[in-house]
Amino acid sequence: MGKYFWHRVLQAIPVVIGTTFIIYALVFLLPGDPVKAMFRGKAANPAVEAQIRSQYNLDKPFIVQYLLFLWNALHLDFGMTFSQQSVIDTIGRAFPVTIKLALMAFVFEAVFGILLGILAGLHKGTWYDGVILVLSLLLISVPTFVTGYLLQYFVGVKWGLLPVTASAAATFNDLLMPAMVLGSVSMASIIRLSRSEIDTNKTADYVRTARAKGMSNYSVTVRHILRNSMIPVVTYLGQDIGALMGGAMITERIFNIQGVGNLTYQAILRGEAPLVVSVVTILVLIFVVCNLLVDLLYAALDPRIRY
Amino acid sequence: MTSAQTSAQPASQLYPGQERFVAPANEVKLEAVDSVDEDAPALGMWQSAWRVLRKNPLFIVSGILIIFILFVALFPSVFTHVDPRYCNLSNSLRNPSAGHPFGFDQQGCDIYSRVIWGTRTSVSIGISTTIFVTLFGGLIGAVAGFFGGWVDTLLSRITDIFYGIPFLLGAIVLLQMFTDVDSIWKLVATMTLFGWTEMARITRSAVLEAKNLEFNTASTALGSSPARNLFRHVLPNSLAPMIVIATLSLGQYIVSEASLDFLGVGLGGNTVSWGVDISNAQTLIRTNPMVLFYPSLALAITVLAFIMMGDAVKDALDPTGRTA
Repeated sequence: MGKYFWHRVLQAIPVVIGTTFIIYALVFLLPGDPVKAMFRGKAANPAVEAQIRSQYNLDKPFIVQYLLFLWNALHLDFGMTFSQQSVIDTIGRAFPVTIKLALMAFVFEAVFGILLGILAGLHKGTWYDGVILVLSLLLISVPTFVTGYLLQYFVGVKWGLLPVTASAAATFNDLLMPAMVLGSVSMASIIRLSRSEIDTNKTADYVRTARAKGMSNYSVTVRHILRNSMIPVVTYLGQDIGALMGGAMITERIFNIQGVGNLTYQAILRGEAPLVVSVVTILVLIFVVCNLLVDLLYAALDPRIRY
Repeated sequence: MTSAQTSAQPASQLYPGQERFVAPANEVKLEAVDSVDEDAPALGMWQSAWRVLRKNPLFIVSGILIIFILFVALFPSVFTHVDPRYCNLSNSLRNPSAGHPFGFDQQGCDIYSRVIWGTRTSVSIGISTTIFVTLFGGLIGAVAGFFGGWVDTLLSRITDIFYGIPFLLGAIVLLQMFTDVDSIWKLVATMTLFGWTEMARITRSAVLEAKNLEFNTASTALGSSPARNLFRHVLPNSLAPMIVIATLSLGQYIVSEASLDFLGVGLGGNTVSWGVDISNAQTLIRTNPMVLFYPSLALAITVLAFIMMGDAVKDALDPTGRTA
């Protein structure tokens, strides 16, 4: 396990460098000048423009810009936004909201996804298996923003059960409906995944052996079928934490939540390249770290993976 | 193993949880078990998959739906004579009337006609992206798995790097540079760039598995070149998981296209697209929900059809899940 651990951790380093480089290149090498965006097309004083270019290192060759960015990012120094606020403070204000939203969505999709998946998988062919399957297919085929607007309209506006949009404080009640919307597609995937896993494992050789030994139905189900079916589900859940942070962009826009998704979206619209690069870099880091943790957890759960 | 032996045991020897149903030995006649036609030609993987498929109601329903959707996408003028781009503001949000079954949207365009014509946009984006992802991701994965060594290490690390960028985030960062381009190809290219990694990973592991099978060694012994081995023997035997992933992700690309339209980095106003129409209707949900409803319904049915098809294909191509 120790060797595998270091192997995987060392493998993650080139991935982090590669992903940040691609994001950096996408933002700064493609057409579109961030300084021009800052002045919104108006002609700027050349001296001021030169000063801004040197502040954001835009006067240096691309590769030097990137290395300086990477070096500063290691010290958590992401520079200033166009309105001369510290980028790390701006992100720091938005992050807790998105983390809260993503965690609530995560708990929602994990609990309901696994429960409904087990229910359907163990009783395949019953009427409630059919209902659960149709529900999961519907949630996957309807885009999140349609689900979001429908829920907002019915639960928020018509029935008045939950707040229509989130307040600046982003309380538990404010985020309940957005979290359900954000987690709904992944929940449907988890239902489908655990259902098919359970269905495959029900006829596995080791289950037949366990039954032949005379193990009770309860023990066979819990110790053999469920435990083995949950390994891929855990992997999916782990990889989903990072994806939820990215997917929050749509949900945060519908419910007007002042989180990272909204911040990134606004920054992209304003062409505020330094802020975009910083936020996306942090999100990518979270995504890579989550994938790494899942791989390590996987190795701990399933001894066949280790080498 | 006979029922006589089991029933001869005294009941007191059974422990809790051991009560099992034992079928009487004479229930199935031996002739019935042995009645397999031994002279029938052996079925290949594709034939046996087709046999399973055509009996699957999921396949029949989704197949009919997909044929219908493709027909609408190819010949939209069969279903409507109204120009989807002809919008008259005096018709804004008017209720359904003769010849305009779904009514009009805020710009005064005919919703029915826009839903019909939007099929072509969504379906062509979904199919093109799937084709490019399968070709590109499949090639990278096949080369990595087949040649191994440093080629595999290099290609796998590149795959890891692209896998590390969340799909939606990467797509938005790239697409916001091209908001003035109104073409479906920018979406196809972007989704291919950030979506090929899963196909590459699946293909790589399928190729690794197929590479070590005996017929491959036999073919090499008979003098086949590595390239011939790859294309004649390894790839055809790794196709099944690739096809499953391709069918299942087709629907996801259609949803992603609509999501990118919604975020304002997708198609512009000149292309008739469900995503654009849903995005424009979002402010109307409280007053005119039907404007949002029709394109959403069309989108959901299309995605549902492709996902059901993917499920059916997966069941047919994966014999391990088969019970009978």
